[in-house]
Amino acid sequence: MIRLENVTKSYSAEVVAVKDASFDVAKGEFVFMVGPSGSGKSTLLKLLNRQDRPEKGAVWVAGRNIVDLPSGRIPMLRRNIGNIFQDYKLLLEKNVFENVAFAQEVIGRPQHVIRQQVPAVLDLVGLSGKEERMPNQLSGGEQQRVSIARAFVNRPLILLADEPTGNLDPATGEGIMRLLDRINKTGTTIVMATHDQRIVNSMRKRVIQLDRGIIVRDQARGVYE
Amino acid sequence: MLSRLRYIFRETFDSFRRNATLTVASIITAAISLLGVGLTLLSQEGFDNLLSKWEGGVEMIIFMRPDVSDDQKALIESSLNENSQFIESWTYCDVECSIAESERVLAAEPGVRDLLNESNIPTQYKAVPTEATDVALLRQVSDEFAGGPGVFEVVFAEDQITLIEQLQSFFGFRLFLLSGFLLVAAVLLIWNTIRTAIFARRREIEVMKLVGATDWFIRIPFMLEGLLHGVIGGALASLGLGIWNSQWTRGVQGFPENSGFASLVITNGYDKQVMLIMLLIGAVAGAIGSGIAASRFLDV
Ligand SMILES: Nc1ncnc2c1ncn2[C@@H]1O[C@H](COP(=O)(O)OP(=O)(O)OP(=O)(O)O)[C@@H](O)[C@H]1O
Ligand SMILES: [Mg+2]
Repeated sequence: MIRLENVTKSYSAEVVAVKDASFDVAKGEFVFMVGPSGSGKSTLLKLLNRQDRPEKGAVWVAGRNIVDLPSGRIPMLRRNIGNIFQDYKLLLEKNVFENVAFAQEVIGRPQHVIRQQVPAVLDLVGLSGKEERMPNQLSGGEQQRVSIARAFVNRPLILLADEPTGNLDPATGEGIMRLLDRINKTGTTIVMATHDQRIVNSMRKRVIQLDRGIIVRDQARGVYE
Repeated sequence: MLSRLRYIFRETFDSFRRNATLTVASIITAAISLLGVGLTLLSQEGFDNLLSKWEGGVEMIIFMRPDVSDDQKALIESSLNENSQFIESWTYCDVECSIAESERVLAAEPGVRDLLNESNIPTQYKAVPTEATDVALLRQVSDEFAGGPGVFEVVFAEDQITLIEQLQSFFGFRLFLLSGFLLVAAVLLIWNTIRTAIFARRREIEVMKLVGATDWFIRIPFMLEGLLHGVIGGALASLGLGIWNSQWTRGVQGFPENSGFASLVITNGYDKQVMLIMLLIGAVAGAIGSGIAASRFLDV
């Protein structure tokens, strides 16, 4: 599903965020990216949906090298990739339903599809009955569930999560992880950058560790260390 | 398709509402600059009308001294008749006629008019030249008259036509320049309004990009917004021009006859044409302003 071949990404001569990184992620896998702050986790995720381009190497996503993807084809790539962030990135003047529906509207899904799929995905993330709430009327965990619903409503092949539990207390974070695990079990490939030791250790999934942009460990059923 | 249209219009009008102050400013500027363009076009057409009325009977007027004698008049009349190859016809406007005429021509200047009376008003010979007579030739002929006995002065309609043409180009050039600058200001304001709208919605745009909205899907509401600024400006300007023109036309009807302004009105539907032109220019200006802003600041 994802394959990196000798990928190097630097922001300037001094800042090399990712250096000669290579790895494979199979369909349906769940991968943690760990490493100290500034080690290149977020940069790696951005390389996977063409928010950034490496200057060296190849990035294969769903069978295509996306490094030289013409910009007109990027939207199609991104429709196969969901994104979740530490700060949720919800639209504050839209309610829960509208936030999720927005992801379908802007890629031209017809209303009857939206009316059917949004409630279903809100049910999946456990937010049934809160469709009319505004983001500021939700807890952090609930806001993250909305953002997961938005990322998943178009049934992407891949879900990229950048510290999704970073702003949540441990119990709430665990709830989010159970949800992500459920989504992963539907066959969605998940790559998640995290600092959260407890979560990594309890999930026992594959762990890729970065240090100053270099992959220093790639371990199946790994721990945070 | 329907849901896309719904989305586009909802977003566009949302943006209008959120960005009301700047939106109003750019629409007003667009309207005023377009009104300037429209008025320039209309006044040019008016001047053209004014000129065309003159063309039919280019006149040479020989003003006689108030104390002119019958002999002197007879001399002028016979030489007018002798020059029939240049002068097709002529009429004499005696004291009574000249007084009556001054009432009309100088209606707006009672001070000047009151200075004239039966003993000091110049009487006039009005000559209509033959078709083939060119002005240079006519001037040559007039020199004879100008030096003639009892002649006060000889005036050519041609001179007034030159004046009108000078006025026309004076106003035309400067009004166009002014409207041009205002139009540039309107484009810049529209550009800035769209830039602000894009900035206000950067979070939405970020999300749209991440979920795979196409560039055009993101751009179109903004471009439509700018286009609407221009078109609404053009519509307001058309309305303004319509009111302006009808008031002007009514005003001119109240002017004294023969005051020279009677033909300075637009009645042939040219005003409708100008309104259409203003709408088009408005649309183009809006599209340019928002198009540049959208391609520059959306970097999608
Ligand atoms: N847009 C950018 N311009 C310049 N340098 C950048 C940019 N984004 C990231 N960097 C640099 O690249 C390096 C890797 O950053 P990155 O955000 O990938 O780290 P991270 O592992 O996600 O860190 P954290 O755990 O703090 O989120 C850092 O040195 C950072 O300063
Ligand atoms: Mg990061």
